[in-house]
Amino acid sequence: MAAAIETKQLTKTYKSRIHGKINVVDSLDLHVEEGEIFGFLGPNGAGKTTTIKMLLSIIYPDAGEGYVLGKEIGDMSVHRLISYVPERPYYYEHMTGLELLKFYASLFGINDQALFVRLLEKVNLHRDMSKTISQYSKGMQQRVGLAQALLNDPKLMFLDEPTGGLDPIAHREIRDLILSFREEGRTVFISSHELSEVELICDRVAIINKGVIARQGKLTDLLRGGRVEVTFEGVTEQWLKDKGMRDSHVRTIAGGVLLDTTEEEDINALIDAARSNSGRIVSIVPRRKRLEDLFIQTVTDAPAAAAKKTITVEESTSV
Amino acid sequence: MSMTSGINRTPLLGAIVGCALGVFVLQNGIGTQPTGKQYESVTETLKNGNTRTVKKLKAGVATPAFQGISSSWQRDFNQGTVETQGLSPDQLLFALAGFREMIAGILWVRADSFFDSGNYDAILPIIRLVTVLDPKQIDVYATGMWHIGYNFTDEEQRSDRRYIPSALALGKEGARNNSLTYEMFFETGWMWYHKIDDDYSNAVKWFELAQERPDMIPARRNLITNAYERDGKVDKSLDTLFKLYETAGKKAKEDAAFGNKQNRDTLENKLDTTLVRMVQRGWFAGKDGRPLTGYDVNPPFDTGFSAKVTVTEARVLRFEGTWNVLPVGTRIRAVLRDADFPNAKPAGMEWDFSNDVNLDPPRDKTFMQEQLFVRNQRFNKKVDMSKDPTMYPFTSKDYVIEFYYNPRSAPPHIQDKFSWNGEGFTDKNFLNTQVREGQRVMYTSVKISKDQLLRRGDWREKVPVIKTANYLDKDGKAYNQADQVTIDLPSLRAN
Amino acid sequence: MFKPIASIAATTVGEAIRRKVLLIILLIGVLFLVVAPGLGMLSARSETTVLRGMMLGIIQLTSAVIAIVLTVYMIPNEIERRTIYTILSKPVQRWQFLVGKYFGAVSALLMMMTLMTSVLVFTFWLQQRDASAIPDLIKAPVMYFVQMSLLAAVAIFFSTFVSPLVNFFLSGGLYLLGSLFAPFFQTLQESQGTPQAAKIFAQLVNTILPNFANYNIQNPIINPGQQIQNESSYYLQVTVYGVLYIAGLLVAGTIVFDRREV
Repeated sequence: MAAAIETKQLTKTYKSRIHGKINVVDSLDLHVEEGEIFGFLGPNGAGKTTTIKMLLSIIYPDAGEGYVLGKEIGDMSVHRLISYVPERPYYYEHMTGLELLKFYASLFGINDQALFVRLLEKVNLHRDMSKTISQYSKGMQQRVGLAQALLNDPKLMFLDEPTGGLDPIAHREIRDLILSFREEGRTVFISSHELSEVELICDRVAIINKGVIARQGKLTDLLRGGRVEVTFEGVTEQWLKDKGMRDSHVRTIAGGVLLDTTEEEDINALIDAARSNSGRIVSIVPRRKRLEDLFIQTVTDAPAAAAKKTITVEESTSV
Repeated sequence: MSMTSGINRTPLLGAIVGCALGVFVLQNGIGTQPTGKQYESVTETLKNGNTRTVKKLKAGVATPAFQGISSSWQRDFNQGTVETQGLSPDQLLFALAGFREMIAGILWVRADSFFDSGNYDAILPIIRLVTVLDPKQIDVYATGMWHIGYNFTDEEQRSDRRYIPSALALGKEGARNNSLTYEMFFETGWMWYHKIDDDYSNAVKWFELAQERPDMIPARRNLITNAYERDGKVDKSLDTLFKLYETAGKKAKEDAAFGNKQNRDTLENKLDTTLVRMVQRGWFAGKDGRPLTGYDVNPPFDTGFSAKVTVTEARVLRFEGTWNVLPVGTRIRAVLRDADFPNAKPAGMEWDFSNDVNLDPPRDKTFMQEQLFVRNQRFNKKVDMSKDPTMYPFTSKDYVIEFYYNPRSAPPHIQDKFSWNGEGFTDKNFLNTQVREGQRVMYTSVKISKDQLLRRGDWREKVPVIKTANYLDKDGKAYNQADQVTIDLPSLRAN
Repeated sequence: MFKPIASIAATTVGEAIRRKVLLIILLIGVLFLVVAPGLGMLSARSETTVLRGMMLGIIQLTSAVIAIVLTVYMIPNEIERRTIYTILSKPVQRWQFLVGKYFGAVSALLMMMTLMTSVLVFTFWLQQRDASAIPDLIKAPVMYFVQMSLLAAVAIFFSTFVSPLVNFFLSGGLYLLGSLFAPFFQTLQESQGTPQAAKIFAQLVNTILPNFANYNIQNPIINPGQQIQNESSYYLQVTVYGVLYIAGLLVAGTIVFDRREV
């Protein structure tokens, strides 16, 4: 599949009076496939926004290469195919929703009233299109931002913290919209702190820390290695221990025996064996690996990762 | 556009250079640009017959190939620079930028309240500031001149003459900065003609300069003929009257408005009167070399001036004396001043000695000038200088009292006898032909000390009296009283 | 190429006319214009002179303040509020953004100055009942507009690389210098005692500095009776000067802004 975004050793350096030269983004090798929702994660100051700005040609890299939709960064023609919704956006407050879309559309040379109305309907703002931006709530402003991002029917959308500061209902609305973008064949590049959201909607993610990509890959691959807890009745600790499972813990609890094992183990076979042995299954509780855990682990491992300057991509293995 | 280097700068830098060149040429022009001082005012006639005064390059100054904005602005829009001592106003008034006229306007409004309240001293710095800010505000120059020349008086309404050089300097500056209009030239001439009332050649000079400006109004234009007369240039006055009369006649024919007809009639009257006077006073006879027998001026009349000055109290003088002219209208000038008053001359001052507008006259010097009116062939006037110590500080040791009479200032009915240059005038004791060139005047002076004027020291009990040798009191008795010390005034003649 | 510029300019106008600070300054200027005739009546003898000088001075001063306040915050505000990102992520070059902001500022300035000039004309006519003086009177605000457009360009140029507060004093200071230097320059050139090196340096400064004094044409209007030679030619010359200088500043601003981290 073609790459929507590809960077090779992309670097941005800032000069600080105290620290001298600092690589805010350091030899970034990023790869985003077309048609996917890509999550770009990192702590504050990691270089997420700087990376996005470079990709959008708002600032210029100091070294390396970058390609957006196959064109080199800085090629103005690619701006006709991309869009951007910044973090905590501010739109001209004196404009109505409709006027705002008209303004941004004029920058493309588009003047299609029907399109504006359609887009506002899509983001559920058609009833409020005559209100000024100053009268919009935060969620409404975010939605009008998404509407303006759709004006040019973009192939690639950059969304910086699209759900930041929104209530759960607004969260869901935005999330559903983003999912619909993928259905429409667009590539969505999301920079976010909302790990739960990212985990729900993203296909692939990259974690950047101190300007360096620490992890990058499919979410399923990155989150592999979860555990499962099975509570048995009618079998003994020893019986379970004798099954020779790796990386497993067995202990007696009130009401039975608890087995804590990896999800790679053949749980089904074990359950069949227990039932054959007049045992009974009380409960099965999967404890999947969470993105938050991965994130924290990655960020706290940062010095080692920074020293290595490698990108770990975990490929899925067939089950 | 490159990923790491942005836009291509070369064409942009080229554009900047191109714009800079264009800006340079427009601002500075091509060729040597004339400065403001290399222009002179020239009156040109337009196609419709009207005239206008414009600034043209002086002879010998080359016209530039392309006149830049800088040069054009200096010529046409610059407010002008007033030469003050030290820094120019633009250096002093850094913060005012282009708002000079506005600040000047606000200040002048402020001045009005001081006029109302009589705080005349406060107006002086405002006048100076406004004229520095906007040298094109003619009204301020004119009002300022009038204010300085006329409004500073003592309790008895005598003008403080120490301010007159400043008033003249202001007028000259106003004329320099507004050379295209007649007004400041006229006002300066008027100051010579009316206030100084002497040295009429200067009045003539300024009125002539005013005449060169085409915007001069007719009524004021006519005044120059009077100035010529006062200056003794009677022929020129007559010539000018004829010219003015001819012009007025043409104008009245073209436009029969009342004002035009009135002007023509006035000039006709004046022409008649002047001609009659010139005949009666023997002017034409004199020019032709014929004897003046039978004319009004012959024989010259002896005015028989005598005077007595008594210092009745400290700073209070009484002037008494005789003057043989019976008709009312004689004003004899009496001056009391410091013996070393700067730029003094007999019965006056070199009023024109400075081009700098200095609103601070010599405050430690005294200059008193009074007109002694003669009635029934005598004059008697008390001059009390005790109420105005700032105007009469009496700081010097020695002073001078002068008496002066010039037929040039006489009213017509007296001048009919004396004529313009004093041909019909004489004084047995005090005729003087030196103090005013080409004129016969009455003049005499004497020293007096500070102690005498202030009645202190030896003069505490004794009353100083200065009198001419020929002075007689009204009852005909020679003056001789034991408690008064007489100081004889030297005379020009034996008796 | 020009459509984005026009759109950005239109948006800028819409924003500018809603900025409370500017509206307050404009209101104060209009109020002073309305009150000015009352002050003129208080002057000794020279009522019309004072009135003209006051009103034209008010317009010039108010316009200068508006021009600076309007433009010093223009680009820094867009960066701070991140509105610039949504625009630059579109197919809009940085120079188009800069030029669009400039033309928007100048258009807003034109609207405000037109309002003030209308008040000037109306108030003057009401006070003096002399319509013949009005065409002459209007010449000054027209030239002031060109002057303020140049001032706006200076401020926008500086806004590409200095903070708003520094820009405020920089632009204001340059306005003062550019207004004062012309007469000072003449004094230097005519003075016998000035060394030649100083004269050359003064010539250089006189060329580099935007010469705002060129547009101070109010003196013959305030004190009528002075003849101006080749008046139309002069106005054309100074307008072309202004246009060239503005173009140079915008191009220089483009070069600086292009490399600026936003």
